[in-house]
Amino acid sequence: MSSPSFPRSPEDELTQSEVERYDRQLRIAGFGRGSQLKLKRAKVAVVGAGGLGSAALLYLAAAGIGRIKVVDDGVVELSNLNRQILYTTEDIGRPKPEAASRRLRELNPEIEIEPLQEKLTDENAEDLLKDVDLAIDCLDNFETRFILNRACISNSKPLVHGAVYGLEGRLMTIIPRRSPCLACLIPRKPKEAAVVPVLGSLAGLVGALEALEAVKLLAGLGSSTAGRLLVIDGYDLSFYWIDVRRDPSCPICGEKWWIEER
Amino acid sequence: MRIIVKTFATLREAFGGRGVLYLDLPDGSTIKDLLKALRGCGSADELDDLVEGRSSVKVLVNGREITYLAGLETRLRDGDVVAFIPPVAGG
Repeated sequence: MSSPSFPRSPEDELTQSEVERYDRQLRIAGFGRGSQLKLKRAKVAVVGAGGLGSAALLYLAAAGIGRIKVVDDGVVELSNLNRQILYTTEDIGRPKPEAASRRLRELNPEIEIEPLQEKLTDENAEDLLKDVDLAIDCLDNFETRFILNRACISNSKPLVHGAVYGLEGRLMTIIPRRSPCLACLIPRKPKEAAVVPVLGSLAGLVGALEALEAVKLLAGLGSSTAGRLLVIDGYDLSFYWIDVRRDPSCPICGEKWWIEER
Repeated sequence: MRIIVKTFATLREAFGGRGVLYLDLPDGSTIKDLLKALRGCGSADELDDLVEGRSSVKVLVNGREITYLAGLETRLRDGDVVAFIPPVAGG
């Protein structure tokens, strides 16, 4: 069965099929064609294509983000499928970026997906981020999150941070040197858990919120969670907002470098 | 006075999966006193780290973070809800 083919269209206009595909969001007050074109011209990196990444990627692709990098070094495993809704049982054993790209292209052939089968490191981070407008943290451990945070601060790329644990979620957007970074939020690196318990719907909820934050930043809508950590407690479905302040002595985003340079 | 303690993530596990604990403390007790009392309910290195000022756990009293109150010296009142929220890294 062949699906219709959609040639890459100019960046300064919407094709007839795009106008139809995005019809329901074009009707949102304050959104419109201008916002849709901003999304079309945007490029984002989704780092981690697991439970958070599955939801974030599906919604970013569906919303028409023009170019999406999918960064992950893993392969699909059976134990992923309780939460990683991008994949099917047939995908087990396939590299995640490749399987994700296939699924996302089926959903929206009018955007570009760039699968990158690699782990984010201090060495490759700058290269991965240099041409994107923002990055989305869909990782599953503290160490790689701190690498991503550092790289986003030094390359001045906004970062949408999300994380889950069991029935809980966290969300905070980071605008480099204007709002607190991950190291301001988590000054002492906690112990890494070997395996983190996660209910799929919580990863989906937080991943969807990350996509929302990204779309708002790119389209210039509303306000972000910069400087405010959202804590979601799924046990009783309560939501807590915690004000987070920049740490002037933060080794990652503190002002010291600036003072010393003068 | 009775204090209601809410534990999150790894701390919830450290207290046997109980998300809510009720503790009776003498009037005038502070967060520091509460942390000492909690040692009798379960073991959590993260709480010990909190006392020593090397922790990333957020502590909220009735939804307000204690760094905006009096930190570990924040005085508690009957019925206060104290939440201990550690950072998490799952995805």
